[in-house]
Amino acid sequence: MAGKSGRSISAVPERSPLRRIVSWEGALVLIFIGVLVMGRIMSASFTAENVLREMPKYLSEILIALPMGFILIMGEIDISVGSVVCLSATMATFAGNAGLPFIVVVLICLLTGVACGALNGFILTRWPELPPMIVTLGTQIIFRGIAEVSLGAGGSASYTNSADLAGLGSKVGPFPIAFFVVIIAAAIYIVVLAKTTFGRKLYAIGSNRVAASYAGIKVGKIRFIVYTLAGLMASMCALFILTTTYGVNTTTGQNYEMDVIAMCVFGGIATTGGKGNLIGALIAGFTIVCLRIALSIKNVNDQLILIIIGLLLIISVLISSITQSDKFKKMALKRAEEKARAKAGAAEGQPEKQPDDKTE
Amino acid sequence: MKKRLICLVLGALMLLSMFAACQPGIDKSQASYALVTKSAGNPYNEKEAEGFEAVMKAVGVKAGNYIIRHPEAPTVDAQIKVIDSLISQGVSAIAIAANDANALSAKLQEAKAAGIKIVTLDSDVAPADRLTFCNQAGVQQVAQALVDAVYDIAGGEGEYAILSATSQATNQNAWIDAMKAIAAADAKYSKLTLVEVAYGDDENQKSTDQTQALLAKYPNLKVICAPTTVGIAAAAKVLQDKKSPVKLTGLGLPSEMAAYIGDDADHSCPYMFLWNPIDLGKLAAYASIALVNGDITGKVGDTFTAGDMENSPYTLTAVAGAESYSEIILGQPFKFDSGNIAEWAKIY
Repeated sequence: MAGKSGRSISAVPERSPLRRIVSWEGALVLIFIGVLVMGRIMSASFTAENVLREMPKYLSEILIALPMGFILIMGEIDISVGSVVCLSATMATFAGNAGLPFIVVVLICLLTGVACGALNGFILTRWPELPPMIVTLGTQIIFRGIAEVSLGAGGSASYTNSADLAGLGSKVGPFPIAFFVVIIAAAIYIVVLAKTTFGRKLYAIGSNRVAASYAGIKVGKIRFIVYTLAGLMASMCALFILTTTYGVNTTTGQNYEMDVIAMCVFGGIATTGGKGNLIGALIAGFTIVCLRIALSIKNVNDQLILIIIGLLLIISVLISSITQSDKFKKMALKRAEEKARAKAGAAEGQPEKQPDDKTE
Repeated sequence: MKKRLICLVLGALMLLSMFAACQPGIDKSQASYALVTKSAGNPYNEKEAEGFEAVMKAVGVKAGNYIIRHPEAPTVDAQIKVIDSLISQGVSAIAIAANDANALSAKLQEAKAAGIKIVTLDSDVAPADRLTFCNQAGVQQVAQALVDAVYDIAGGEGEYAILSATSQATNQNAWIDAMKAIAAADAKYSKLTLVEVAYGDDENQKSTDQTQALLAKYPNLKVICAPTTVGIAAAAKVLQDKKSPVKLTGLGLPSEMAAYIGDDADHSCPYMFLWNPIDLGKLAAYASIALVNGDITGKVGDTFTAGDMENSPYTLTAVAGAESYSEIILGQPFKFDSGNIAEWAKIY
């Protein structure tokens, strides 16, 4: 199994500082810094202040990227999250306009998301043979449909008593509240994925669902939890969307699922499952956000921005497929062996060092 | 090896597209103007942008100082991202065709707080969120044009009918009421008789049925006036297929009406109207410039000159129902006849 998962389930091979930089996450950090430098050179308006001010609109999408990472690592996909954002925001707007206290509005919003996610999870675990993409395509249409019907003829509603929302959308110093929420949520998700058995089980399911279930992992339960989490995070995203639009319409959250999947894939998570981690997705998310802000400040044609991000995605997938290829691995192994031999030769009498992943 | 090559090629492509896309930056010594349309790939929007750009060039705004942004999707989300970016750049004015009347409010207020002058065109937002609105069609102007068209096509006298949308349609009812008022007020139109206002509910089949009913009921009918794009297209087909002597005018989309517009007996519609998106873009540009220069403040009653535009100088008039807020009416609806229909049919 170690061959397929990014971090092997058995012993974690020790990593030299150089290996860390050469890893995809290291490369992403370099790309991220590159984007910031490029943005700064291209336009004087690309300042920390402006980037942070523009960020909330994009930041909320990173919230969804976290559970989407889980889903992709399981080798599955959820394309209904954009519609969950729309439906949750719609329900929150109605609740807010009905004069309910803000805490109740938040609860209604989150519960809507949880309910949507749980419905996805229920269908997919009750009939595990159904393909997730088709099921969530169906619920994508249904959730947005419900929102459209509730919104009625005009197709849009504004959140009338917006003082509470303004509070949620405010800033602590130069940082929007959404920024802290993203960081805290990301920390939780990263720890869960990397350090808990729950996280390991996700990799196991993604590597081989049948084997995982024979190994005693309750696959259905885990899938249900993860899809529900996706709904929950989508509704949190909806709350932060409301703080920028103070209203909802039928296009709210459209195409978020694709933006989010792009962040995950760019972050090195394989859609085939069992590979990748959320640190990469998080850095990738911020990289895409900053790249978009930088290009937008330069008034690059908005359609061209999409093309550039599309190219970036394909390149990232290609690069990871090169570095994961057997040929490349053999080359790296050979190089490591030679190095070890040279070392051993230098320190005479020492027994020859074993290359660390001999099993591969 | 092959994969690495593809990687390199894609990477080079990406860099190239980035450089190709780079526009000259804003020169802060001069005012800068932005136009935000509804989305890309909308020919109507692109014509507005064309007019906007033409004015900017004509008045000598530097290339980097006028910015035309077509959001990536026809959504408020996409427009908000663009406005955010424009606020960061510190533009002087934003002209926007809103994708939603409500949801842009907070972002436009933020732009306003940053000292940016906001003008809307084509579709408005809540009046408090902008300084003025460039309205493509004033009720009076549309009604006057339609009455004159009926008068002209009927030869000054005879029966005419109106084929409208639904009986509750706000726009159509306002135009029809204004048409009736204009016809009653001037003795010139006294020989014209309005026999019926029929409602095709903006459905093709129902409009077709209503047209046939009008033809059967009123044998002396000379003209049908359809102030709705669905109605006029349905009626045009009925009249042309039947080779009816009854003629048609109204408000229609050039692309849908191209086959029916012509001066001879084979065509059912001699001419019709809609607005000119290029002029609307020009008007938005001049209004932005006037606001930035301080020639107008957005108050009702302000006037400004708009270069070589037909109706210049323009006056800001009160919005019906929100009298303290202003709008600018573009002017006469644009006339489409056999001379220009082929060109406009390609556009929208």
